[in-house]
Amino acid sequence: MTRSIIKIKTTLLDHQIAKLSAIAIGLSLIESVLPSPMPGVKPGIANIITLYAMYRFNFKTALWVSILRVFATSLILGQFLSPTFMLSLTGSMLSLLTLYFAIKLPSQFFSPIGLSVLSSFAHIGGQLLLVRLWLIPHASIYYLIPIYSVAALLFGFINGWITYRLLKHHNSI
Amino acid sequence: MKLPIKSFLGDSLIILISLIFIVFAFKTFWHFETGSVVQVNFQGKTYGNFSLFQDKKISLIGKEGESMIEIKAGRARFAHAPCKNQYCVQQGWIHRTGQMLICIPNEVSIEILGKTKAYDSLNY
Repeated sequence: MTRSIIKIKTTLLDHQIAKLSAIAIGLSLIESVLPSPMPGVKPGIANIITLYAMYRFNFKTALWVSILRVFATSLILGQFLSPTFMLSLTGSMLSLLTLYFAIKLPSQFFSPIGLSVLSSFAHIGGQLLLVRLWLIPHASIYYLIPIYSVAALLFGFINGWITYRLLKHHNSI
Repeated sequence: MKLPIKSFLGDSLIILISLIFIVFAFKTFWHFETGSVVQVNFQGKTYGNFSLFQDKKISLIGKEGESMIEIKAGRARFAHAPCKNQYCVQQGWIHRTGQMLICIPNEVSIEILGKTKAYDSLNY
């Protein structure tokens, strides 16, 4: 019997993506056990890693980290393909799309703090849109927009500030 | 690499716009209207619409007994209910558009109406 060893050629960037994804998944799991005042209001600390990846490496890395985190976290928590997963995926993709354009803004005026706020608004905006169109097709969810907006600004700012400090610490900004 | 002096001008702008949006969102979506009419539903049909500014007591005899609805000074409430739980009575006075009190055992419900119909999960 011959043993076959499958070896995948990996680049240095692949290893970076794997490391960052692992941290992001860990943060997502920690966050999932934290109590939340209402569904959907949560800090979104894993976005720190996405933003960090975007500044430190490139957009593609951030995209990979984000996708891997959404899929792996949902598989671990048993939410794969459930509404929770769909909401998470929609939010992440919309916030990444926003970051794709926002990163092109002049960096002497825009720091990760502003970008983080923008991306958290995009995140909750996408989720609310999906809830409105698919899960609760009724106008009553508009009542929640003010609460979610306050949470988006607050947590977006905190996450952005943490990312800014991290990048500064690693001399990447 | 020497970077230019960092400024948070753009970030401040983003945060300012967000704050304006939040104030706007609160004003738009959390705008509650004081109603002017109470609609009384009895045994699946509309029993009648009554002005909230005319003090009145409405007595309805249903399957369980007598339900008493009281309208006073722009508000409405169940003053008396025949059932055991007394949920409708304990909810007290209502006066905002879309607010509702329901007595399921006696098949009576009251709803405050205004110029526009407010959103609520019961409609859905």
